[in-house]
Amino acid sequence: MIMKKAITILLGIGSVLLLTGIAYAFLVAPIAVDPNTGKEVFHQKILYFHVPVAETSLVSFILAAVFGALFLYKRERKYDFLSLAAVELGFMYGLLVEMTGMMWDKAAWGVWWQWEPRLTTYLILMLMYSGYFVMRSSIGEDSTKARFGAVYAIIAAVNVPLTFFAIRLIPSIHPILFDSSGAGLEGPLLVAFLVSMFGMTFFYVSLLLTRYQMFGVSEELDILKNQIGG
Amino acid sequence: MSGGRQIGAIVKKDIIAELRTKEMVVSMFLFVLLIMVAFHYGFGTTTDFSPFAGGLIWIAFLFTSLLGLNRSFVHEKDEGCLEGLLLSPVDRPNIFFGKMIGNFIFLTIVEIIAVPLYLVMLNLSIRGSVPMFILAIVLSNIGICVVGTLLSTISINTKMRDMLLPLIYLPISSPILICAVTSTNGIMGGVTGEKFAPVISAMKILAAYDIMFLLVAYALYDFVIGE
Repeated sequence: MIMKKAITILLGIGSVLLLTGIAYAFLVAPIAVDPNTGKEVFHQKILYFHVPVAETSLVSFILAAVFGALFLYKRERKYDFLSLAAVELGFMYGLLVEMTGMMWDKAAWGVWWQWEPRLTTYLILMLMYSGYFVMRSSIGEDSTKARFGAVYAIIAAVNVPLTFFAIRLIPSIHPILFDSSGAGLEGPLLVAFLVSMFGMTFFYVSLLLTRYQMFGVSEELDILKNQIGG
Repeated sequence: MSGGRQIGAIVKKDIIAELRTKEMVVSMFLFVLLIMVAFHYGFGTTTDFSPFAGGLIWIAFLFTSLLGLNRSFVHEKDEGCLEGLLLSPVDRPNIFFGKMIGNFIFLTIVEIIAVPLYLVMLNLSIRGSVPMFILAIVLSNIGICVVGTLLSTISINTKMRDMLLPLIYLPISSPILICAVTSTNGIMGGVTGEKFAPVISAMKILAAYDIMFLLVAYALYDFVIGE
């Protein structure tokens, strides 16, 4: 019951902050200017959604590995549920990153796809975690599923920084317009960015807890079904 | 038995089994040759391959390594040898190191024959330093075998078995492919000065990859191989 309340509160705060951040970015914050050409860049606004989504998905994959390690250490099913939920959410957020990234590409460079380091890293990440789902679904026993899932989540998380640095070796054709770490943002732009960043984090935690709860409920359901012999 | 002798015994077993059947090295070698012929027809008969020589070599080796990695555990599983290994008083990580070194030896043998053949038949040359070229290949091979052995142990224990390995192994090994291609391309093209910097960073990343995954495998193999 407490969990349910917590989820509702987090979801509420997250949604309000996220919407405020995006509304602020569009209505209040000035349109960013490209320092190289001096032109106004309207498509920069996607940054207020794209970057929070990207960072949340990375955090999610790291969380999946941490919960995986906890599962291997403590052997409690709840950690497997949390790890799986984190991978699922990280994957979903990753798809959003790819989609918004492609929109940026189209607006900035006129093509839907550039082999740009960040997006390419994400593409490989998505392929890596697709393997996670295929692997889990091809295992019969729940305990093996959890064990291999945890191991794979750790392997994949270790691989993320290596992939990122490796892709950086290949010279990028296009300069990166804005430093998306947020360091290049000032004043109202930074406010809008931080507000959506926090909003996204709250939103994410509420989704993670909801998914976690769902696993618990479905397991309870299985136990009840077994009891009545169905 | 000490750790070193346990590993040695497993490697020796794999080599004896391979010497009797010869199926792994021979099939991997034939596969490399077939890919070379496919490249020749795929890219046209008059193409100059030298600008992407590293790419050709590593695509061929990466897919060839898949063949060997799958075999190395299919045998153990089908004949019930894995149970035997697990019942014997051998530390689990030593099973990993034994299998990994075996895979490394077989892949290296195939490459020792295949690299000169690729050079001659696709009209390529190594303009830079040959020891560097060999170092790049060895570093990549270690990475391929560490990750490959770890993941093939996972895949062999699922219902999909060898079907699953490419799906999880190719994305996880993508840093190896990128770094191996960058370094060998640079060395084969004989780049110098400023252009040589990416080659050095690629080799550093390869070394970091090898070390990190050796540690990960050492820590996690207990959980992978079954309880």
